[in-house]
Amino acid sequence: MNLFQIISEIEKVDPEFTDRLTHRRSALSLLGDLGKKMALAAAPVAIGSAFNKVVAQNNLSTVNDVLNYALLLERLEYSFYNQALSAATLSANLTGAARTAVETIRAHELAHVNLLTAALGSAAAPAPANGFNFGTAFATYASFLTFAQAFEDTGVRAYKGQATKIPRTLNPTVGGNTVNLLTVALQIHSVEARHAAHIRYMRRGATAGGQTTIMPWIINSDANGAPAAVYGAGNPAADFPAEGNLVQAGVTLTTGLGTTYTADEVSAAFDEPLDNTTVTAIARSAATF
Amino acid sequence: MPEASSSSSPSTLNRRSFLASAGVATASLLVLAACEDDNPAPTTDPFIALAAGDPGVLSYFYLLERFSAEFYNKVLAAPPTDLTATDLAVLRDLYRHELAHRETLNQVFSANGLTLDVNLPALEFKYDSFTLTTRAGVLSAAQTIEDMGVAALAGAAKLVADANYLQLVLKIMAVEARHAAAIRDLNQAGSFAGADVVPQTGTEAGLNRVLTPTEVLAEFTAKYSPIKLRADNLPTS
Repeated sequence: MNLFQIISEIEKVDPEFTDRLTHRRSALSLLGDLGKKMALAAAPVAIGSAFNKVVAQNNLSTVNDVLNYALLLERLEYSFYNQALSAATLSANLTGAARTAVETIRAHELAHVNLLTAALGSAAAPAPANGFNFGTAFATYASFLTFAQAFEDTGVRAYKGQATKIPRTLNPTVGGNTVNLLTVALQIHSVEARHAAHIRYMRRGATAGGQTTIMPWIINSDANGAPAAVYGAGNPAADFPAEGNLVQAGVTLTTGLGTTYTADEVSAAFDEPLDNTTVTAIARSAATF
Repeated sequence: MPEASSSSSPSTLNRRSFLASAGVATASLLVLAACEDDNPAPTTDPFIALAAGDPGVLSYFYLLERFSAEFYNKVLAAPPTDLTATDLAVLRDLYRHELAHRETLNQVFSANGLTLDVNLPALEFKYDSFTLTTRAGVLSAAQTIEDMGVAALAGAAKLVADANYLQLVLKIMAVEARHAAAIRDLNQAGSFAGADVVPQTGTEAGLNRVLTPTEVLAEFTAKYSPIKLRADNLPTS
């Protein structure tokens, strides 16, 4: 474990982090700049990931393990949006269309929780006894959306990281209906990607962080103020490359397809999977549960 | 356009493929003839039947990517004047992504010795069911195409047998869902996951709609393809 590596990870999020290492709390209170506050709030996630890279891997061995892992992430997301919708700090900005969108997303996350719970039956893990504590996430509207982007983009990567572990011929009965489990997981995966796209779009607003050039897709490994670990490589990196990956099907796409593409184009055209250990560490760094 | 069509060995052509090959050239004639003739003649209608196994499923995905890439190419060649700069930036990205998807799938065929149906790269899609002269028409068309693409990928991914191909398909699927949400938000703000594509209630609550290859190819045959596209040989589970 390398301290410089950890600090380097954090600096990707907060370039002035080293100056504040011993004064984090006082620095936070002094900062007037919303962007810096967001970056500082996000720093613990970067720490978690840097530590985690030492042992990260995909190590869920059964389908129920995979489903319980998905259930935990969906519970986290549901709780995140549920808390946001009642957070006094967000009441001035989380209004109108933005509120409607977040309510829609919360409803989807709850549906995912219910579906996964039903699919697991008696094998469903209990919800964390003390719920989820998201720390400073709801301090500002901009920090809420930054965390939301991080959770959604991580969720998309998490499903992709497990999908090939679900037998494609597994058709259990859930709530009286026969379902194909892989298809259900991919339906959820697509919905999480829709959420991610919309949250990114929301962040363009002036009170939402003013990310005026952010796109609904992930360009290179750009975190746009969210924790760098969300867009970084997992372990092993060959299986779980960073979002900036330019190689697909063994070809470097910028130059290998006959026509030249920019790195922006081909990195954005493909989302990347992430292993469960890295995903869980990101989640545990952003929330206490 | 770099249409590096993959080779198809004549010895592997079965009767259906032969009929389909012959059919492409004469498709429009036969369609015209069919319009003037009330006689149902299903046995002689030209068609392309996608192949069995992973080559067939990947051909299906290739078809979808080709269809969307050429749609954006067509739109950007003569963009409606009421498209905003934001719209155009999104449409240009979508075009380049779809092109990269199509060419990457093409690469998968050639690198793995899979046969891409020889007729698919040459198929002339029809876009005349869309209105491409106005912003509203273009965004509505793009929404239809992107939502269909996501539903098609989600519905057919389980048919991919090879885990590496499946992983690649999923990398594409997530980006198609981002596209669909983005276009929907441009079309109508806040509609990124409208109830028409992600039901809010019932057994499908919170789940993206899915379409089977049979459903999607029927849609192509009805609106977008001059020649019947058949899913009979594709795996169904």
